Amino acid sequence: MAENSPARLWGMRATYVGLALLICFLHLLPMQVLPYRLAGPDWLTALTFAWALRRPSYVPMLSIAAILLMADLLFQRPPGLWALLVLLAAEWLKPRGRQVRENTFVAEWLTAATVLFFITVIYRLVLALLIVTPGMLSLWLMQYGMTVAAYPLVAGLSYLILGVRRSTPGEYDHTGRPL
Amino acid sequence: MASDRNASDEFTGPLKRLLLVVLVLCLAGIFLLWRIDSPRVERFRAQVVDNIVPRMDWAMAPVTATVRLFRDFQSYQRLYEQNEELRRELRRMTAWREAALQLEQENARLRDLNNVQLDPRLTFITAVVLADSGSPFRQSVLINVGSRDGIVDGWATMDGLGLVGRVSGVGANTSRVIMLTDATSRIPAEIQPSGQRALIAGDNSSAPPIDFLENPDLVRPGDRIVTTGDGEVFPPGLLIGQVAEDPGGRLRVRLAADYERLEFLRVLRDHGTRQVGNPSALILPDALPDAGVPVPDQPEIPGDG
Repeated sequence: MAENSPARLWGMRATYVGLALLICFLHLLPMQVLPYRLAGPDWLTALTFAWALRRPSYVPMLSIAAILLMADLLFQRPPGLWALLVLLAAEWLKPRGRQVRENTFVAEWLTAATVLFFITVIYRLVLALLIVTPGMLSLWLMQYGMTVAAYPLVAGLSYLILGVRRSTPGEYDHTGRPL
Repeated sequence: MASDRNASDEFTGPLKRLLLVVLVLCLAGIFLLWRIDSPRVERFRAQVVDNIVPRMDWAMAPVTATVRLFRDFQSYQRLYEQNEELRRELRRMTAWREAALQLEQENARLRDLNNVQLDPRLTFITAVVLADSGSPFRQSVLINVGSRDGIVDGWATMDGLGLVGRVSGVGANTSRVIMLTDATSRIPAEIQPSGQRALIAGDNSSAPPIDFLENPDLVRPGDRIVTTGDGEVFPPGLLIGQVAEDPGGRLRVRLAADYERLEFLRVLRDHGTRQVGNPSALILPDALPDAGVPVPDQPEIPGDG
């Protein structure tokens, strides 16, 4: 199975890092300096969740932690907290991928949306407990909605362009372990 | 098959769990450290940004230029309307120009009478905007000058017209400017001509509200807002904008700086104003010109009366 060869595996791991860097880069472009009325989706989290659910081996823990910590530092968020929550959520999602794949896409979408909701609430609670201003609630709600709405797009594009699809029950990786 | 998977997981499972625990502890540690010792971690953040963002510069320049080009094309479509608008504005401006000339002459005469010296130490460094904050919750930009160019935390930045924000976070080659629109920005200001003091408190909107105003009745929309030297935050007299009233009746600032097209910023070098510590310092200069060697203070000898 050429599709599950080690070269492909490492290639896709590198692609994840590359995509994440591209997303950070696009966010940082000085296009719009006025305050936003609308909060866009959090593409990085959507990408991480989609890949963690579909192909857990493409998003190892180390790259999730490193990329999201970097994003925290670059985007002026409290460093570490969002990275920690996304890492835990992705690790929780990884084994769920095997159960979800037997169901429809809606089940996968709902799982991701629920997890995202929980970590968003925990994020705001922790910030409130430690007396850090977490930003406007309306913007957070908007960002949550947009991220959930962007999830099918991210999953679809990574399937169509990069071929990140859900593994089927009969598949084996290059060492012969079932996926 | 399930037992197969379990067998292979027996080796990697504990290792993965250990790695996860280590990563979680690291990230939680960084977050707690940030909460406890924020300045140190913020300095680290400034260094990270300093290392990453200038490397993206080569890619950012063409992309930004392309988008600007595209926007300019969009504005070509409204060329006729714009032309009409500009003509109307020009007619209004010629009237203002006459007024300005007269005022300038009057101002020059008054300055001459007053023997006013503008602060000669207020010079500036011009910087290019590298990146914005990348998040809808923070309003800041990154500029391409840093401690290498002598930038110090807390200096004011302006565009050609008005105040833009305050330097906060300096790396070697870059520094971050927290803008007046950021939710954490609080700037002491004075409203002219009534002389009312107030705070300009950013709230993540493009027109920050005016807070702690003593007597709102004395303030009318259109009044000028300038910085005060209060709290040593900024040098006094920098233009911030004009008072405007929003539909809810709240007074807000229409900022003079053009936030829509921030490409270049001026960072004002501010070496602090002279402090008046004891009452006589207001009248006497620091060292009298003909005093020679300054005599150390001597304890007062009670005169015999």
